[in-house]
Amino acid sequence: MLVGRILVVGGGTAGWMAAAALTHKFAGTKLAITLIESAEIGTVGVGEATIPHIRHFNATLGIDEADFLAATKGTYKLGIEFVDWGRKGDSYIHPFAQFGDPVDGVPFHHQWLATEGAGAFEDYSLPIQAARRGRFRRPEGDPYNYAYQFDAGLYARYLRTYAEARGVVRREGKVVDVALDGESGFVRSVTLESGETIEADLFVDCSGFRGLLIEQALHTGYEEWTHWLPCDRAIAIPCANSGPLAPLTRAAAKQAGWCWRIPLQHRTGNGHVYSSGFLGDDEALEVLLEQLPAEPLADPNKLRFVTGKRRKQWVGNTVAIGLSSGFLEPLESTSIHLIQVAIGKLLDLFPTGDWDPLDAAEFNRAMALEYERVRDFLILHYHATERDDSEFWRHCRNMILPDSLAYKLQLFRERGVVVQYREGTFLEPSWLAVYLGQHVTPRHPDPRAGGQGVAAALAAMRAEIAAAAEAMPRHETALGMGA
Amino acid sequence: MIRSIGIVGAGVAGWMAALALRRALPGARISVIETEGPDWSLGPFGPGEASLPGLESWLADHGVEEGALLRAARGGFSLGTAFSGWAGQEADWFLPFGTIGAPIGTVAFHQLAARLRAAGHPLRLADFSLAAIAAASGRFARPSPDPRSVLSSYGYGLHFARAGLAEVLRLASGLATAGRFRRALGDAGITAIEIEDGAQVSADLWLDCSGPAALLAGRLDSGWESWSEWLPCDRAVESWNEVEGVPPPYAHAGAFEGGWQRTVPLVGGQSGALLYASAFLAEQPGAVPIAQGRRTRAWTGNVVALGAAAALVEPLHGHNLALLQNALTRLISLLPTAPDGPEPAEYNRLTASEADRVRDFAILHYKTNGRAGDPLWDQARAMPVPETLAHKLDLYASRGRLPVYDEELFDPEEWIAVLDGQGVRPRRHDALADAIPEPQLRAHASRIREVIVDAVRGMPHHGATLREEGLLA
Repeated sequence: MLVGRILVVGGGTAGWMAAAALTHKFAGTKLAITLIESAEIGTVGVGEATIPHIRHFNATLGIDEADFLAATKGTYKLGIEFVDWGRKGDSYIHPFAQFGDPVDGVPFHHQWLATEGAGAFEDYSLPIQAARRGRFRRPEGDPYNYAYQFDAGLYARYLRTYAEARGVVRREGKVVDVALDGESGFVRSVTLESGETIEADLFVDCSGFRGLLIEQALHTGYEEWTHWLPCDRAIAIPCANSGPLAPLTRAAAKQAGWCWRIPLQHRTGNGHVYSSGFLGDDEALEVLLEQLPAEPLADPNKLRFVTGKRRKQWVGNTVAIGLSSGFLEPLESTSIHLIQVAIGKLLDLFPTGDWDPLDAAEFNRAMALEYERVRDFLILHYHATERDDSEFWRHCRNMILPDSLAYKLQLFRERGVVVQYREGTFLEPSWLAVYLGQHVTPRHPDPRAGGQGVAAALAAMRAEIAAAAEAMPRHETALGMGA
Repeated sequence: MIRSIGIVGAGVAGWMAALALRRALPGARISVIETEGPDWSLGPFGPGEASLPGLESWLADHGVEEGALLRAARGGFSLGTAFSGWAGQEADWFLPFGTIGAPIGTVAFHQLAARLRAAGHPLRLADFSLAAIAAASGRFARPSPDPRSVLSSYGYGLHFARAGLAEVLRLASGLATAGRFRRALGDAGITAIEIEDGAQVSADLWLDCSGPAALLAGRLDSGWESWSEWLPCDRAVESWNEVEGVPPPYAHAGAFEGGWQRTVPLVGGQSGALLYASAFLAEQPGAVPIAQGRRTRAWTGNVVALGAAAALVEPLHGHNLALLQNALTRLISLLPTAPDGPEPAEYNRLTASEADRVRDFAILHYKTNGRAGDPLWDQARAMPVPETLAHKLDLYASRGRLPVYDEELFDPEEWIAVLDGQGVRPRRHDALADAIPEPQLRAHASRIREVIVDAVRGMPHHGATLREEGLLA
C-alpha cells in the first residue's frame, strides 16, 4: 500500500504546520493531503514563544519574514528572562548564543569564573545586552541567533492559507468514530458527525491533549513525568501592551509555578502555570491577575495538562504530532519546536508503503530522546533553586532527579563541565545560562583559567559587546512599528 | 591541582601528550620516560602511520609546521584508503576524505543514488567524490578555503614515518627524556618510576603511553574489554619495503583469506602491517600477538592510559592518531582539580563510548564482507555484532538511514561509503527522493561528475605537490 492519501486530524498550530510542511515537500507529486478541523473545538495555543529553529522551518517553506511577522503580529525574541528562579529578586536571561570567547584555549566561562572583577556573566552576551536595552538587530553571520513571539492562532491561519494554496483540502467537521483494520490494527478511516467517512493511508493525529487516534482509538498509553515536573494547570489571559516592546519572553517564578509574559505587536500574552497540588485555582488566578502589566483583554482561559509523553508517538499508520504526542510546559518555549522536530522526523522517515516497523521504531526512539532531553533541562530550572519560601519550592529542591540530570548537575557543580551530546535542542550555552543564572557555581573551575592578560581580554570583550548593543535600533524600530 | 606530569613511553603517543600538556599547563613539570623496544604506542601496525583529516589543524595549533613534519618523516598526503578484497575476492572500493555527491534540498545524495539505481542506472558512489577521483589519478593539492568551490569538498590526511613524527613532536615540546624506565613503584596508584640510573621520578599524574604493554595501567585495576569475538585478527607483522618513485596519495587495505595487509606509502618506501587471525593462517615470521579491545577505565587513580595502552583497534583507517588527539583534548578539559573529583568518571565515559563507536566501525568491515568461501570471512559474516552496530545495520538495510550516536569519530557519510562499498543496498529509499523527477536526478548526478572531473583535471600530480614543497627530490 503506497502512501497516497494523508489525513491530518485537527487544525491548530500542529495540524497546519504539518499540512504546510507535507504539501511543500511533496509538491508536484500525487500525494493528497486533507485536514479536518472543527470550529467548535478550541485550540490551546499556549506556545506563542519559539526558539530559533522556527526560522529554519519558515525558510524551508519559503516564507518571507516580514510578511510572516505582519500576519502573525509577531515580535523578535532574543531569549527568555527568568525572574525569581534561583532566588527571589534574581533575573537572568537565557539567550540563543554562546557567552564570550575562549581565552588561551580555555572555555570562556572558566575564565570568567577565575577572574576577579569580571562583572556579570550576562555582560558577555550581545543578545542579552541588546535585550536589556530593548534593542534588536538581525545578526549578520551568526554571532547570535533569534526567534519570534507570535499569535499561534494567526500563525495557524497563515499556514492554512499557505497550505490550501498548495493543494491541502480542509474539511470542516468533528470526528465521531475511528475505524481500525481488523488484521493490521491500522487506522482505516474516520467518520465525521455528518456521517461522512474519510479514508487515508497515513493519519497525522494533531487533535490535541485527548489524542483522538493515538490514544482514544489505539490506546497507546502515556508516560507521566509529574513527579519531576509537578505543574498541571495553566490559566492564560491576554492584556494590552504597556511600555516598550521587550524582545524577550518573560518567565517569573511564583510560589507554586511561574507566570509567562509574551509581548506581541498588538497585545501581551500572559499565563500562570502552576501545580494544583500546591495552589488552588482561585489563588492561581489572583497571582496571575496581580502581576498583569495592563488591563486584561479577555476572560481567563483555563487548561489542565499532564506532563509527560505518549509511550509511542508513531503507531501503525498513525503519527501523533503536537499535544497529542505529549506535553512539556512552555518554560523554554519548546511546544512549537517539538512539533517541528516531529514533522522533520516524519519527513525523514516518511513511509514508503511497506510499513517497515523500523521506521516507527526509529521515530519513537528519536522523539523520546528529544522529549527526555528537554525534560531534563526543564527540571533543572525547578531543582536548582535556593528558594525556601513555599512547600512547592521545597518539594522541587528535594526531589530525586532522573539519573541523566543528576550526573550533569554534579559534573557542573564540581568542575564546571557541561555534559555534551550530539542530538538535543539545548546545547552548552543554554545549560550555562541556567546553571550560572541559578547560582550553580562550580567548586573547581578549569585549572588553566585565570592566566595573565585574561582580565584585560575580558574587559575588552565586555566593552565591545556593550558598544555593539548600544548601536542597535530599538525593537519597535526593527519591526517597522514606528515609535 | 596538577604540578607535575610523568609520561611513560617516548614514542608518538608520549611526545604528542608531552606537547599538548606543555601547551596547556606551561607551569607544570613534565618528565618523559623512555621504554624498551619499538614504538608501539599506537599499536604494532608498521613503521608508518596515517592520520585522518583534522590532525593538520591540531599540529598548526601546537606549533608544528606541516612541511617540516613531512620532510622529517618521509611524509606525503592522503585522500583516503583503497579497500580491495573486502566486498568480495575481486571487488575494490575507496573510502575518500570528503563529501560524496551533493544533496537536493534535504534529500541526501545516497538516497538519490538509490533512486537512480532503482530506476536502472547503476552507479558507484566514489565516482561522485573529488577526493576519490583525485586519488585514482594520483593528484593532490590542498583543499580550497572557498566554500563555493568544489575544491573545498574534501579534506586530507597525512602519511608519515612514526619515528620522524615522534621526533618532530619532541622538538616542538622542547623537552628531553628524563631517563629509561626500569620499574613502577606503588601499589594502589603509581607513586614514582624508578629509572635506569636508580633515580626516582615522581609526578602528580601519570600518562601511560607505553603501548599494548601498558606498563602503568596494566598494574592497576583498570579492567580490559576484549573485542576478539568480533575482530578476529590476533597477530601483526610489521614490515618496511624500499620503493622508488612518487608515493600514491592514499593508503591501501587489502584483504586475503587469513586477514588483511595495510600499506602506508611514504617517500622512498612502504610501511606495511600484516594483520591476520592465527586460527586461519600459519604463524608468520616476525608476528606479534595483538589483543584488540579497550581498557574499561582508561583513567584509573593517577594514571591515564593513552594510545594503544587505552584501546587497541586494527588500523583500517587513521583512527588511532585521532583517538589519541581527542583523548588529549578531553584530558586537558578535564584536568583534575581536587582529590576524588568527578573528572576520571566523565573522561572514562566519553573515552569508552568513542572507542566503542570506532570498534563498531571496524567490525562493520568484517560483518559486511563479501568473501564467500573463505572460512574466516564466512564466520565474520555470520557473527552476531554489538547491539549498537546491529541497530545501525538494520536501519541502513531498511532505508539507507544511519543513526548517529554521541561520541562518533566517523561521520555518517563515511559509514555510508563503507556500507555502499561493501555492497550493502537498502531495501528502500526515502520517499522524498521519489518526489524529484528522474530527469532532474540524472542531470544532477551528471553535473556533479562533470564539475569534479573538470576540477581534478586542473589539480597537480601528488609528485608535483611533494616536489614543490621540497618533500621529494
